[in-house]
Amino acid sequence: MTASTVAARPAARFEHSAHFYGDDHEFLAGVVPFVREGLAADDAVVVVEPARRLTLLREALADDAAAVQFHDMAAVGANPARILAVWQEIVAQQVAAGRTLRGVGEPAFVGRREPELLECHLHELLLNHAFDSGAPWRLLCPYDEQGLPPAVCDGARATHPAWSGATGQVHGPAVPGTAVQAAFSAPLPAPPRTPQRGRSYRTGDLPAVRQLVAENARSWGLSGERVEALVLAASELATNSVRHGGGEGALSAWRDFGGGVLEFTDGGHLTDPLAGRRAPSKDLAGGRGLYLVNQLCDLVQLRSSPAGTTVRVTTWL
Amino acid sequence: MDRPAVAGPADHLCWVFDDASSFAPVARQFLADGLARGERLLFVGDAEGIDALRQPATVLPDVGELVARGVLHVVPVDGAYRTGQFDADRQLEFYDGATRRAVADGYTGLRVVADVTPLAVDPGGEADLVRWEHLADDFFAHGPGMSAMCAYRRGRVDPAVLAAAAAVHPQVHAPDDVPPFRVWFDDGGLAVAGVLDAFDADHALRVLLASHVAGPVVRLDVSRVEFVDAAGYRALARWAQALQARSARLCLVGTSRLFRRTWQVLGFDQLTDAIVEAAGS
Repeated sequence: MTASTVAARPAARFEHSAHFYGDDHEFLAGVVPFVREGLAADDAVVVVEPARRLTLLREALADDAAAVQFHDMAAVGANPARILAVWQEIVAQQVAAGRTLRGVGEPAFVGRREPELLECHLHELLLNHAFDSGAPWRLLCPYDEQGLPPAVCDGARATHPAWSGATGQVHGPAVPGTAVQAAFSAPLPAPPRTPQRGRSYRTGDLPAVRQLVAENARSWGLSGERVEALVLAASELATNSVRHGGGEGALSAWRDFGGGVLEFTDGGHLTDPLAGRRAPSKDLAGGRGLYLVNQLCDLVQLRSSPAGTTVRVTTWL
Repeated sequence: MDRPAVAGPADHLCWVFDDASSFAPVARQFLADGLARGERLLFVGDAEGIDALRQPATVLPDVGELVARGVLHVVPVDGAYRTGQFDADRQLEFYDGATRRAVADGYTGLRVVADVTPLAVDPGGEADLVRWEHLADDFFAHGPGMSAMCAYRRGRVDPAVLAAAAAVHPQVHAPDDVPPFRVWFDDGGLAVAGVLDAFDADHALRVLLASHVAGPVVRLDVSRVEFVDAAGYRALARWAQALQARSARLCLVGTSRLFRRTWQVLGFDQLTDAIVEAAGS
């Protein structure tokens, strides 16, 4: 089966595939035909790639580039937990306009740090979870096999039911529905053995938590709005512990991977792995706290299981 | 703060006390500051409070003489407030008349200490009380020259009512049980200070909804807010929608960059017609 015969039929469901490439040529060899077939079928085509790949693709598409919508993945998806809402909004727009959508998205681009790549893996699983039962559309996710750690590309073969590459098209086994919960409930890598500062908190301790976070943020060299934003995010997370996480939680802080890290743990169980990743509702209902945290912070790693909930927030310094 | 830390002509203090004997020195100090500025004084209290005020003391020692000269009026609480069927407009008339008489008699204004505990224990009176405190606050800021300390006796007042009443005073003394925010009239609009977070957002919304505001544009100065979280932003957005429903538009003034960014991230720029102005604009 060739790429063009696959593309000749409209997507029947959410078709999520990966494209493995070793260089610019192989990148374009997978992405350009995918985009052109979409344009030929009058699909809306949206590309979310890091800046260098956007430039490459624009040049290769020449005049066709005008019909394609481009976004910088490093900007809109700096925190991988923000990407899903971006696609959700694009899908909603195209459904409302009565058009089919074809997307290209490279969340796990070269230059991402280790904890970000871990979140990209969870994000790919969550895409299946979020879109499998919704409107049909296609999403192609390029992976740089030369630049990324091999484990990241192996991971992509487990999060995409189909992929293409130098060796042709492969249809792998369906991604099991349990994979999302397994990844969402897996513990985060242990923190480094550097001195940690922290405290426990319960109702009434929020002002003290905010003060501690502000002190940490300043000790990392942050100032002004970045301190305020981190304090706001921390307050949302500690409030969630107090309100929904069994009434209490614990905060620790350390430095790792060139960032300042705050980690909030509590005994609550957050059962929805998409919490905080969907765009907020169009009314004034509650539940915007985690979404706000994802928008304000550089990296947010959320894991939850019946044993408890952990949210690790990293600020790049 | 165990004595009024600031004493100005438009003061509006909320004071929470435990018993008449500990409150009397605070009341005397507040009245003495007014006396020094040439104001007429009015003390509203129950029999126990009036008795405590008349006890010998170093500050304001000559209460009997001040009363005899007409400088200080001492009124039992049911003589100044119609408890049971409280009417904010009539109450305002009472104070407006008393202040104008004081000025006509040559005083610079009227300074009042009122133990309003009986009002606060009226069943279902929270909304009336909050409304009254707002009207009074506006009157103190823009009226003929009255300032007041509203005192509440802890233990007799439902903590929720106490918290609501405390929230509408620009200056609050109470060791605990008061909300971390305050709302008051300021410069032609409302001002809020302190913390607007998930634990008090519903309460803040009740206070804002009960505020006596009018006009096509309602200004709320948020420049003195120390911290606001998603629930606090949502309370402001809900108030904006409530104002919109009666054809008024909320204007948030003195906002920080993070305030404006968060307002947008939460989608409230789309869901309300509120105007959001930067500090200094």
